[in-house]
Amino acid sequence: MTPAERDLRDAALEATEGAGALERRLERTWRTREGFWGALSTVDHKIIGRRYIVTAFAFLALGGVLAMLMRLQLARPESRFLSADLYNQIFTIHGANMMFLFAVPVAEAMAVYLVPLLVGTRNIAFPRLGAFSYWVYLFGGIMLWVAFILQTGPDVGWFAYVPLSGPQYASGKRADVWAQMITFTEISALAVAVEIVVTVLKQRAPGMSLDRIPIVVWAMLVMAFMIILAMPAVVTGSSVLIMDRLVGTHFFNPAEGGDVLLWQHLFWFFGHPEVYIIFLPSVGMLSTMLPSFVRRPIFGYLALVMSIMAIGVLAFGLWVHHMFTTGLPRLGESFFTASSMAIAVPAGTQIFCWIATIWLGRPVFRVPFLFILAFFFTFVLGGMTGVMVASVPLDTQLHDTYFVVAHFHYVLVGGAVFPLLGAIYYWFPKITGRMMSERIGRWVVGLLFLGFNFTFFPMHILGLQGMPRRIYAYPPELGWGGMNLFVSLCSIALAAGFLLFFVDAVRSARKGPPAGDNPWDASTLEWATTSPPPPYNFARIPVVTSAAPLWDERAALPVASGLSVNRRELLITTMGTATPEVRETSPQNSIWPFWAALATSVMLVWSIFSPWALVWASIPVAITLIGWFWPRGTPEDDA
Amino acid sequence: MRVIPAALLLPLILAGCKREARETRLDPPVAEALGGVRVMANGISGQPPMVNAAQGEPYRNNAYQLAQGKRLYEWFNCQGCHADGGGASGPALMNGWWRYGPDAVSIFVTLRDGRPNGMPSFRDRLTTEQMWQLTGYLQNLGATVAATAAPSRNDAMQTRPAENRAPAMGALPVSPDR
Repeated sequence: MTPAERDLRDAALEATEGAGALERRLERTWRTREGFWGALSTVDHKIIGRRYIVTAFAFLALGGVLAMLMRLQLARPESRFLSADLYNQIFTIHGANMMFLFAVPVAEAMAVYLVPLLVGTRNIAFPRLGAFSYWVYLFGGIMLWVAFILQTGPDVGWFAYVPLSGPQYASGKRADVWAQMITFTEISALAVAVEIVVTVLKQRAPGMSLDRIPIVVWAMLVMAFMIILAMPAVVTGSSVLIMDRLVGTHFFNPAEGGDVLLWQHLFWFFGHPEVYIIFLPSVGMLSTMLPSFVRRPIFGYLALVMSIMAIGVLAFGLWVHHMFTTGLPRLGESFFTASSMAIAVPAGTQIFCWIATIWLGRPVFRVPFLFILAFFFTFVLGGMTGVMVASVPLDTQLHDTYFVVAHFHYVLVGGAVFPLLGAIYYWFPKITGRMMSERIGRWVVGLLFLGFNFTFFPMHILGLQGMPRRIYAYPPELGWGGMNLFVSLCSIALAAGFLLFFVDAVRSARKGPPAGDNPWDASTLEWATTSPPPPYNFARIPVVTSAAPLWDERAALPVASGLSVNRRELLITTMGTATPEVRETSPQNSIWPFWAALATSVMLVWSIFSPWALVWASIPVAITLIGWFWPRGTPEDDA
Repeated sequence: MRVIPAALLLPLILAGCKREARETRLDPPVAEALGGVRVMANGISGQPPMVNAAQGEPYRNNAYQLAQGKRLYEWFNCQGCHADGGGASGPALMNGWWRYGPDAVSIFVTLRDGRPNGMPSFRDRLTTEQMWQLTGYLQNLGATVAATAAPSRNDAMQTRPAENRAPAMGALPVSPDR
């Protein structure tokens, strides 16, 4: 390619080459090759994001099957449907799967798909890292489920407390599988987090100053920073646990100077922020969807963004409320009670902003909006019980009972999954070009909302009656049988709702009515391009003049020109005001992230069995990384 | 066509399943059959119960069973005489030297019936399953080569390398009565 060709700009292309020339050239530059190897080597954030979302929902379905097995077991007292050992594996894998293979990855997945579109750029930053992240995540998930099939499923609870998960009490390789599954998730999450931070801060469309960023992008940014700050704690924890188990170190052995509580601190310093890592993206998606359905901009943009940031900061200061029954000093308990209750302030601010938005608007009751309404009821209830268990005396009574099970399902399903499903209904037309069914969608909302509340509300009462979590059977004399049977029956409605959702999604992806570019008449940039978007996202980079660009520039969206069409180029803008700074290249497709992920996975799985894996298996990892970064003289390398 | 090798691989993988299986509640007939050892007249060696082999030798190959044996070792105060395996008033259990032979049946019979010079009988204190768990652990303790399944170290002061690190014997000086 001659320098002149390499630098062919989009500005006057149509004048010299005729209409459609710009799109043709961009298509050729940005496309993903056909076929098996093309699919493995793509770095298109939309393809990776789509895969990520589908995989996460597949894990959701698998985890749901486990939940139904547990409800079947608990429906009757003294049930013999599952053995104690299998039940232990099932509740552990249900929890670990839902937290580490569904909730966190699906939030990242939505970010990978949506953030570049929302900020008006052509690809995510470091797209090869995104491909790597997806493969690592997929292999980690497969490892956990294969281990389960081989009866090596972890059975130590999703937070794997030592000494239960330590060398003395968790014999075999089950706890190691858990710890390495965490490592897989950490690597993939950290990779995506870095991409999101850079994309949001440096690749926004010109004019999208900080006060014009869609709230979902703010939420994803805060989530990414939280991942970067929280995940290292659990990386340390899980690695140290494996060392204790595999090479005989004594980090958690009090007799040799270790500390059992160290594990809980390391885990919950990650584990509590993780709750908000899951929750904040849903808050963001909700805030971005809401204006489309009430036909007015969000009320209290600044307050919402500030409360998202406040939650992001406060989330790191309340992990000890998971440890109130471990005998910590009184002062510590009081401090963490106060900080736990303090988070209700920004959470409440958000709720009032949303209520005000709806109050001042003219609501259109479409399916995503119904999910938002279901969220309000369920999440507020979960937040209330959260304030309850933040107080030490009550927590001491309710610790490890079904009350806690009810509480965290209310906040996680009500707070994160309902808005997420709403977001799927909302962005499905953008992703597939087709609408999901409004009629089936109403059934889905109804079944999920009623099924969820009837399934989980009685668990509060069971917990108050003293039913501990994680028991595989209970004697009939305790009188928990009736309510457990009711819970199990209602869980069928909940499962039916999810099943209907999957049916609708699969059916609509093939046969749904075509959506058009902007079916909701929404205001954010992703709706400015076609549905589904072309490989290059935007033929010309939009220029943003307000917080609701598609509403305020209805006639024609202003665009920027001057990017090269013969090599992958993005526009880098300044962090605060999004003034264009420089044209930057974006890497081409490559198969090497796949090989690197494969080599990394081999190393991680091998290291369950031998510490020497870290030595020998690092050689293929190094080779694949050399292949990844080897300069190939593509036009993109010149920048 | 790539499906065929994958399908061939699957039973191989599934064969590894039993290594991690955990039987927390034995079927009564199996528990009963575990007691069916036939011992030589001199009380040394003999034929182990058939059911043990039929179940895939769980007390030798399954880390969970070995770890249960290790717990019983403490709970029933085996340390009182044998220390951490190095031996005290009772003989050492990890130097490769067994007074009544190294096979499982001898160890099982020792636990069940006791031996002269102080080894008590645990017939009334342990179930047959527990005696097999303990037997498996003792064999593992005195192994001269690394086993594929082993318990791990305890959360206690360490007197020797954990069982899953290496065969215990190599890490210790050879006993003079060997």
